Amino acid sequence: MADNSEPAQADEILGSIEDPADVELVARVVAGDESAFEELFNRHRRRVALIGGRFFRQREQIEEVIQESFSKAYFALAEFSNRQESSFAAWIARIAFNVCYDELRRLKRRPESTFSDLSEEEASWIRETLSSEGPGKNIESVAISRDMADKLLARLSPEDQLVLVMLDAEGLSVSDIANSMGWSASKVKVRAHRARAKLRRGLARFL
Amino acid sequence: MAESVKPMVSNKRDHGSEKILDGLGSAIVRASATNEDAADAAATSPFLYTRLRSRIESERKRREEGEGWLAMLGVIWRTVPAMALVAVFAMVLFLSTSSNSLGSGNANYDVLLGERDSAEEQVVFADKQFTSSDEVLDTILNEDEQGASK
Repeated sequence: MADNSEPAQADEILGSIEDPADVELVARVVAGDESAFEELFNRHRRRVALIGGRFFRQREQIEEVIQESFSKAYFALAEFSNRQESSFAAWIARIAFNVCYDELRRLKRRPESTFSDLSEEEASWIRETLSSEGPGKNIESVAISRDMADKLLARLSPEDQLVLVMLDAEGLSVSDIANSMGWSASKVKVRAHRARAKLRRGLARFL
Repeated sequence: MAESVKPMVSNKRDHGSEKILDGLGSAIVRASATNEDAADAAATSPFLYTRLRSRIESERKRREEGEGWLAMLGVIWRTVPAMALVAVFAMVLFLSTSSNSLGSGNANYDVLLGERDSAEEQVVFADKQFTSSDEVLDTILNEDEQGASK
């Protein structure tokens, strides 16, 4: 696999570093200063876009995640300031993950791709990778693996997909995911276990 | 002995292949989740904030309309039980009144006298003069006889 990016650290993702300026901006928006919201948007839109990019390939879909996340955040800003949460970044990330989850569930209602949709090229990539006991590193294999990864992940339920991306790509802990999604830790563990087993079953066909 | 070793070896092999598959699975998830170019393009998309503002405005309007409906529903929610209560009360009143009037219609003086044996009532009803059909006939016949004798 030619993915050079390391999973981001949970602290970075949930924004544990306090940013009083964000809190100040939120207070200004709640007081009626609309320009403060634009400042918040400019600060955090890339982070939200990256979260959207974890789940969706198309630029339009990612834009939709950005707009929906900030729209929801706008109407819930009073809730944020009432709760006295430490980090706006963590809060907006949580909203973005939930928006992605809703979008995944909406998309799941459409006909989905299956393992049989894999091209011969992709199937041989899996065989080669499994025989060499490690993902390839060249650019071509990145392109193949990305498309193939989408097809493989499309087999999973939205919950399973979300949990795996949050664990493996975002590097979040079980408790972080549980907090973000409002699930119990055991639900996250069960989901992760099932999702990995399903992926294994799919890949085992090429062994 | 050899038979018991065989499953152990196959278990080890299964465990090893599971590990490989898990590793590949994680790599696939990371590959699928790597989309920085599209994310950057989306984040720097022109008029993104303008579109967001118009979305917020339309959402605000939608919520206000929804709040209007909710307020109306709230009024209905409070009014309906009150009206139902009034209707039930009116029904009870109507039923009790009609049963009283039915009871009084069937009653006759004897029963009333028997039930309420008060002196006053007896006096009232004793004073009452009821003329029977025979008495009326007697009166007419008497008048005719008197006319004839004259």
